[in-house]
Amino acid sequence: MDDHAQPPFLAVSRRRFLAMAGSAAALLASGAEVLFADGRLVIPNAEGFLVVDMKKCQGCSTCMMACALAHAGKASYNLARIQIQQDPWANWPDDVFMATCRQCENAPCVEACPVEPIKANKPNPDFGNVRMIDPKLCIGCQNCLAACPFTPVRLQWNAESGISQKCDLCVDTPFLGAKGGPGGVQTCVRVCPVNAIAFTPTMPDQGVETSYYVNLRGPAWRRLGMTTK
Amino acid sequence: MAMHGYAGKILHLDMSAGKANEVPTEKYRRWGGGHGLGSALFWDFCKDKTIKDGRNPANVVCVCTSPLNGTIAPSAGGRCDVVGVGVGQHPQSWYTRSGFGGRFSTMLKYAGWDAIVITGKAAKATWVEIANDHVTFHDAASLWGKDTWAAQQAIWEQTGHARGKTAQAAWREAAKGLGDTLSTQPPAVLCIGPAGENQTAHGCLVHDAGNGAGQGGFGAVWGSKNLKAISVIGTGAISVADPQALLKARFVLKEKYVTSWDRPDFGQWSHLGGLPNPLTMTPPPTDERRPQACQSCINGCRTRASVGYGNESTCQETAWYISAASRVAKSPAQLGEVNMRAADVVQRYGLNSFVFQTGLHWLELLHEERVIGGGKVPSSLPWDKYGTLEFAEKLIHALSHREDIGKDLADGWVQAAEKWGRTEDLANGNMAFSYWGMPDHGYDPRAELDWGYGSILDSRDINEHCFNIIFTNVNAAFAFGKPMRLEAGELVELVARKLTPYIKGRTDVLDFGDANMYSEGVAQLVRWHRHYTRFYKQSALYCDLKWPDFYNTNTPNMEGATASEDAGEQVFWNAVTGDRMTFDQGMELGRRIWNLDNAIWTLQGRHRDMVHFAPYIYETPFTKGELYPFYMWPCRNARGAWEYTDVMGRTLDKAKFDEWKTIYYGLEGWDTKTGWPTRKTLAGMDMSVVADELAAARRLGADA
Repeated sequence: MDDHAQPPFLAVSRRRFLAMAGSAAALLASGAEVLFADGRLVIPNAEGFLVVDMKKCQGCSTCMMACALAHAGKASYNLARIQIQQDPWANWPDDVFMATCRQCENAPCVEACPVEPIKANKPNPDFGNVRMIDPKLCIGCQNCLAACPFTPVRLQWNAESGISQKCDLCVDTPFLGAKGGPGGVQTCVRVCPVNAIAFTPTMPDQGVETSYYVNLRGPAWRRLGMTTK
Repeated sequence: MAMHGYAGKILHLDMSAGKANEVPTEKYRRWGGGHGLGSALFWDFCKDKTIKDGRNPANVVCVCTSPLNGTIAPSAGGRCDVVGVGVGQHPQSWYTRSGFGGRFSTMLKYAGWDAIVITGKAAKATWVEIANDHVTFHDAASLWGKDTWAAQQAIWEQTGHARGKTAQAAWREAAKGLGDTLSTQPPAVLCIGPAGENQTAHGCLVHDAGNGAGQGGFGAVWGSKNLKAISVIGTGAISVADPQALLKARFVLKEKYVTSWDRPDFGQWSHLGGLPNPLTMTPPPTDERRPQACQSCINGCRTRASVGYGNESTCQETAWYISAASRVAKSPAQLGEVNMRAADVVQRYGLNSFVFQTGLHWLELLHEERVIGGGKVPSSLPWDKYGTLEFAEKLIHALSHREDIGKDLADGWVQAAEKWGRTEDLANGNMAFSYWGMPDHGYDPRAELDWGYGSILDSRDINEHCFNIIFTNVNAAFAFGKPMRLEAGELVELVARKLTPYIKGRTDVLDFGDANMYSEGVAQLVRWHRHYTRFYKQSALYCDLKWPDFYNTNTPNMEGATASEDAGEQVFWNAVTGDRMTFDQGMELGRRIWNLDNAIWTLQGRHRDMVHFAPYIYETPFTKGELYPFYMWPCRNARGAWEYTDVMGRTLDKAKFDEWKTIYYGLEGWDTKTGWPTRKTLAGMDMSVVADELAAARRLGADA
């Protein structure tokens, strides 16, 4: 890929990188994203991830509504940064799908953010490098939405404010009443009635799509007559 | 007035004109939501309140949400209340209600609507699509005749949400043509099946696989209006007054009142404090399954399994055929499969299975006596296959299509008994249809007084499990040798603490023993119950199976969440709406709604002389329980000490019950001679307009 073939924001970033190359290691340590000479954007790993048990979820969508409440102060499906999908006529376990942001190692949504000089979508070194969209910087181009490779796309278009949003592990939750982010509370984890969502500091295997799907069913689940396999 | 929690507008579907109109919600804010909102809308929109059959084109049906719908208020986010004049009751059909869960009310709120008012009658089969503000009347010719599942799936497809191999789907246009208004969710559809299309008495409304507004016959009402389905999808949001308080209370509820996953107490006693467990009447067929819940539920009561049948069905629909199937099934596994597949059958036909609770026994008896299948009531149903799935399907098909015995049963079962010359069955109890032509629930009026008295004062089997949790906990302990977690004296003390404002601390009101069954105390209890359920359960729309939470063995002092300062019903209401409502003020709103309902019944023709049970309740002792051979309830013994006592084996005394009604009407401030509301009582609740309409109809009660 030559410079001309790259999106303009990456070409500009490359020049910025050349000026800053000597500071790369320091920047990585501080949590800032770094662009190498080959055009590859290196993003420091997030220090927290949501994992889910799709065989356990009861489909109550409490996590969705609570997520929207904690972040936006409103109850909504569309403002939720976790999306629970159900097909009432499908059989277990295909009847429920839990779509969470994966805090990707090489987050395509971060790479795609064209905002300069500071990306709107970037890891936040103050909060464990959680990939966050700064609503004050987002220009509403929706490149991040287009870049997310998953179905459904794990970012949301906030039609009301005209910007993108995504899971921040509850870092920016003015209505939660508790500290969020890695080391803090994740609203969906705490509110889930069946504990089908968990927080982990260990990055799931990025090469395996199902690595975020875990088994959270313990002895109580078995006692209720449901499989723990 | 602040409108947090409300979408702000009500959708009026004029079926005759094929037009959608918008009504501001603000005018109706004082009625709360759900049933209260629906009764107020019915009062304004129904121009002939004397109608006695819900299939009359003048009938008005309201599908109503609450401010709590679409929020995380525990087990309240997805309930919905349907009101209007019902079908198939006896001696006439009353203004009544039916609730259902799932996600329809949530979607309706997010689409920007607090309620739907349906008036008139469409000229042809119609379904209505709601996508946010866009409301479209569609020709339903291609849907008419489809069962409820096929119809919903066809609507999903027509609106651009065709099902895939799994639930996983991309963000899609909320509806075709809505451009960048996207959703990951399919529409929520409420529809009728063949039972509703053919306007049969027990036609119901079905949503998703297993949510149904079953009782009341609203499927038949929709069928009479040529309304096959309403589909809704919403991409908006609901304003919440204090999101932080709402989240905090929800966390408290989970962490204090519900038993923990790490150290679960599987024998806990409470209404909402257990872990999710399907309420199926036969064990689930496999452990490859999940709990399945309505929106915001604290612990789901349904299940979806890998086996492909019985998904989302729960409680009575999984048992309607059990007495028949158990005679044929060769193994528990086969019995379970037939039961769950029979549940699927009633879901698909959209036929309320509850009529079979006691009705199936009666049909079987009539067949044994050759009344059915003989010369009097010809039947070509395969009675020799009674107990098989094949018979179940043919029976439901016949009843849903007005075929065979369904021709006579379609307009009401007691009406059919009259036609077949079998009214004596209502005296000897062979036909256990105890109130208003509807089947007994199993919580027999001769034993569980709150349920029985409440049902006959209301419009149908109330199906409210508030005090019934006592029966559930205590009788299971006796039957299965489980620990008695609360002795009778402790239990009544805990419950009575919650009975504010009328009877707080009065344990005597819970005594259903022979000496107390016609007392002022029991009248007070029934009054509390009618008011609580009218607001908190049917208007705020807290789930019947989770609330109220009187006692709770998960907490240090055994007190339940109801009316508590940290997670009481009013806490969630206030966090969402911004009101500063006390628990007692919610009760007062329930009283107002209950009075409005009684005004409607009065205009329909009700008089206290009509308020009586079927004859068998007075003439035949209650000796056979649906679940247990005894009916244990806390009662005081001769020394005044509390103990669990078997209240089975008795009848109600008709004259004493009649005297009890006088006590009850007096407590409500109604005319004790007629049971009608009075001007003084109505004016005291700012309902003089209602008194005026009653006066104009010459049906206003006399002030005491």
